[in-house]
Amino acid sequence: MPALLKIILRRVALGLLTLLLVSVLVFAATQAMPGDTASAILGRAATPERLAVLREQLGLNRPIATQYFTWLGGIVRGDPGNSLVGTEEPVMQLLGPRIVNTAALVVAAAFWSFPLSILIGSLSGLFRDRSFDSSVSVGSLALAALPEFVLGLVLILLLAVQVLHVFPAVSMVNPQLSIWSQMHNLWLPAITLGLACVPYIVRMLRGSMIEVLESEYVQMARLKGMRERVVLQRHALPNAIIPLIQVIALNLAWLAGGVVTVEYLFNYPGIGSALVDAVRNRDVPLIQAIVLLIAAVYVFLNLTADILTILISPRLRTGLR
Amino acid sequence: MSDQEGKSSFDLGKLGEIAGSKRITRRAVVQGAAAAGALAALGPFAAACGSSEPDTSASPSAAAPKKGGHIRSAIGGGTTKDILDPHRTYYDSGSKTVIVWDALMGWDQEHKLVNKLAESYEINADATVHTFRLKPDLTFHDGSPVTADAVVYSYQRILDPEMAALGAGGLTELKPSGIEKIDDLTVSFNLTQPNAVFVEAVAYYANAIVPVGFTTPNGAEGAIGTGPWKPISYDPGLQTEFVANPDYWGEGPYADKLTMIEFADPEPQLNALLSGSVDHLANLATSQVGIVSSTPGLKVLEAKGGGWNPFTMLIDKKPFDDVRVRQAFRLIIDRQQVIDQGKGGFGRVANDMYAPYDPGYPKDLPQRVQDLEQAKSLLKQAGYDNDLSVVLNCTTSTMLDDPDAAQVFSEQLNGAGVKCTVNKVDPDVYWNEGNYRSYPFAMSNWGTSNYLYLTRQVLFPTGPYYETHWKDAEWEKIVLEAFQTSDDAKRNELVSQAETIEYERGGHINYQFGSMLDAYTDKLGGLVPDNFGQSGATYQRYHLFYFV
Amino acid sequence: MSADDWAPATERPIDAGDAGAAEAFNETLGHDLEFSPARRKHRRREWVQLLLDALHYRRTQVGLAMFLFIVAIAAVGPHVAPYSPTEFVVAPYAKPSAIAKLGGDNLGRDVLTRVLYGGRSVLILATIATTVGMILGVSLGLTAGYARTAIDEGIMRLLDVVLAFPSIVLVLLMVSVLGPRPWLIVLIVGVTHAPPLARVVHGVTQDVRQRDFVEAAESLGVSHLKIAFTEILPNITSPLVVEFGLRLTYSIGTIASLSFLGFGMQPPAADWGLMINENRMGLIIQPYAVFVPVMLIAILTIGVNLFSDGIGHALIGLDRDTGSA
Repeated sequence: MPALLKIILRRVALGLLTLLLVSVLVFAATQAMPGDTASAILGRAATPERLAVLREQLGLNRPIATQYFTWLGGIVRGDPGNSLVGTEEPVMQLLGPRIVNTAALVVAAAFWSFPLSILIGSLSGLFRDRSFDSSVSVGSLALAALPEFVLGLVLILLLAVQVLHVFPAVSMVNPQLSIWSQMHNLWLPAITLGLACVPYIVRMLRGSMIEVLESEYVQMARLKGMRERVVLQRHALPNAIIPLIQVIALNLAWLAGGVVTVEYLFNYPGIGSALVDAVRNRDVPLIQAIVLLIAAVYVFLNLTADILTILISPRLRTGLR
Repeated sequence: MSDQEGKSSFDLGKLGEIAGSKRITRRAVVQGAAAAGALAALGPFAAACGSSEPDTSASPSAAAPKKGGHIRSAIGGGTTKDILDPHRTYYDSGSKTVIVWDALMGWDQEHKLVNKLAESYEINADATVHTFRLKPDLTFHDGSPVTADAVVYSYQRILDPEMAALGAGGLTELKPSGIEKIDDLTVSFNLTQPNAVFVEAVAYYANAIVPVGFTTPNGAEGAIGTGPWKPISYDPGLQTEFVANPDYWGEGPYADKLTMIEFADPEPQLNALLSGSVDHLANLATSQVGIVSSTPGLKVLEAKGGGWNPFTMLIDKKPFDDVRVRQAFRLIIDRQQVIDQGKGGFGRVANDMYAPYDPGYPKDLPQRVQDLEQAKSLLKQAGYDNDLSVVLNCTTSTMLDDPDAAQVFSEQLNGAGVKCTVNKVDPDVYWNEGNYRSYPFAMSNWGTSNYLYLTRQVLFPTGPYYETHWKDAEWEKIVLEAFQTSDDAKRNELVSQAETIEYERGGHINYQFGSMLDAYTDKLGGLVPDNFGQSGATYQRYHLFYFV
Repeated sequence: MSADDWAPATERPIDAGDAGAAEAFNETLGHDLEFSPARRKHRRREWVQLLLDALHYRRTQVGLAMFLFIVAIAAVGPHVAPYSPTEFVVAPYAKPSAIAKLGGDNLGRDVLTRVLYGGRSVLILATIATTVGMILGVSLGLTAGYARTAIDEGIMRLLDVVLAFPSIVLVLLMVSVLGPRPWLIVLIVGVTHAPPLARVVHGVTQDVRQRDFVEAAESLGVSHLKIAFTEILPNITSPLVVEFGLRLTYSIGTIASLSFLGFGMQPPAADWGLMINENRMGLIIQPYAVFVPVMLIAILTIGVNLFSDGIGHALIGLDRDTGSA
């Protein structure tokens, strides 16, 4: 146990280190540039008033190290500063509802696509090289190739505009109500995001299933005369699940970034579209906060996958020997 | 103007009916030079543009409209920074304050001066004292009477420098000490200088009358006015809910409830109408006209007003400090093409001047057309030989501004050897603190107004929208004299001269007078087009809407 | 999603750890690497053989056809376009007519012309970005794999940091500060390819480094750099060809997405991603302005992916033919 704990702690430490490095990168890219940072950020929108406000707000007049630690301190305390645009409210206040919306979208996308992909992937592996497998393979290749916004537009064409008129083509989330009471605005973006994940999960599950089916212990079980179904249930599936954890975690992490184009396409008010707006407006504190948030989600999910894999694998293997 | 109707095949609905019946019904007597002048000004504009039903309740031949219902209107995005303070809001957010508060005077759909809270108005011989008498028995939403004290308080508030009130720039001749209560219903404005068109400032929507002691409301609380609608909830940037004011002094409202929902983008806005979530849409994009007109149950309303969306040049910055460059740019632009490609064909060609309904508007000046040869020659004289490079700034919002028109003009400039790139900025950033006034080459937009009043806002350094940094001694002399000229004919002549100077060397490139477009379901009636030229084709006259 | 999870099409799942990747690579290579000039010459033409084999598969043929179709449009398009891409020819969002065969765009320019002009930017930028990524990734991977401890760990850690960003977020971060410029986008997208590629190359390099012929070269005093590039690199060319194809798909997607978001090519440029965004408002009345570029991007990306996958399959086929160890 202590050895296991050590490994886990080591991974956590590495994750935190990565986050720290990410924060340095974000900070360096946005605030620590040589030359007049404020004019570089504002570009043509620079007026003396705005330059002064920006310098004040970001503390650009202080030494770099001080700036960094003040900023980092703020982040850790949950206060990434104020938006530079519009009402100049605190960034966390702006982002709160957006985070909820994106979380809802990601969950909705995962909810339908993950189980379905797992099923398709497992079946592909099971009926390997048969016609089902081949068509799934080609379909996956096509899906994986398409950029998400292209996929989204094709869906809009089919489901909202030309062929059927089932869904609204853009979302009209009413901020007064919670996202769960207006689910119809989630459909198209959730389908788009989910579809984008399908190929990877299918591929992974297929490969994993094949490997497991060819593995020694499954052969053993078959030789022992176990029925196929029991073999699958008791030996194949549990082991196929291990890489699954990695895939789910990776895909969830990917979704955090993949929402950017999909939310923009569907006008969905989440953190993805907030990032696009923030970049357009050069709203530095907001950009920093969102990028850090996405990176943190990424690191966290990868970490969780790693730890879960460590925890589960040895137990399973010892169990079956 | 009527050639525009051939371009799109939409159902003109009410507009068609009204065009045939130019009725002018009785209303309270309006004295004063400006009003009479305004009536005469309609001229050719009124004849060709469909004129509209005036804003009174005297329509004997029509059956009384049904009462009741909840109007839901989709409007262009305000910002989350907006407040329900009539003295301090901009035009697009002003679309909410204009239905809650009234000024003493106003403009009707044909841009004629009308009484609102004022029953009568008198001006003395040298235009230094303007006296307004309130209508009797007017009340605020909370039941308190509208008295001269409220008028005094309102104007004191407007003039308070800390308020940064929008209307203050047009009231430069009025000092707080000049506001005089004569009796319970009468107020006199004693000006430090003569101003023959002071009444236009009084008619400015942002110079509304508020109760004594009024302060900026917290949300909808404390938003007490005299208008047809009372706000009950306010979410800036999102939506606002109103109930009808049963004691409104004017016509209507017929519906019980009104909700204005804000959209930052045109697609969800149109979607709301198409899916039936809203009944009315203000400011339809020209590219969406086709969709609406081909959808059963929906109609388009066009108002051909005097609103204008000019390109602005700072005349004290390179390269526009050289008048030849300004003239060259005005000769490079192909006005009809910008209208066709950038405004979907909606709009009428303009001649670099504005205030088309002003009696002094010089209609006889030759219409400028594209003349590339002359333009290039002028640029050469100014020292630029195909090496002039400019950046045209505009906002990203297709709802409130004209990035497409900017793109088209930019193309034309490039075609004429002037290197031009378009820089699109978020509307918040662009309009915030007058950022747009610092761009040497940018875009602006205006509703309809008369000339002199507008100069206060735009052409004097003290104005809030000093967008071309205009400074011209000859022009100043003429304009200051005009303000002091009570005689209409003389004043109109001076206005003509001033406009002509701008025609020759001004900093605006005004290529069109625009059309406003609204879309609505055929369940709604009572919509009349309004020439104001901003905030949609009906200028938020929701109190006239009713459900059929 | 990074293309590294989409890996050369091996039958075994490639796990994220380096050892697994290296093993898988070795198995696809199918034989031990030996220091022998004759064998080496034969191997140098291996990737050509690979391509020829791949073309036996249906998917490679279809993929190549799709890809070539798009390249043809991009290359020949501007020469056969009826108008200039910035010329105004019809009313905005006009329906297709004799004047404008695919209708008008949001400003009334000819959609057909703009479509014919719009493929170049994506293809060129994506190809450069992928090349940049390959060079970076291979160099880093080779260096990391060849060096010992400190530099090795350091480089991999740094790469992990970059990997912590979904690439489009990284690009947006840079664009927010420096503005949308083609060279910047190419550079960043290239940089985002580097980590997964480097990981893989790193693994193989570590493995190969221990082989006889490398040790022999080292004892001969040949410089590390020379060994890395003359001995190791040629032996991993085939899988790299597959990688290039996969990364190209991904580069095209990212760059088109950036233009779609408004941070890539700027107006009035004719670019498929940009066109899609500019014409979205008129989607219902003039779908061609959006859907023709959408279909073209779809054909391009699917084609490249099919083609790469075909090569990947051929690689395994080669593996089977030459017999695994």
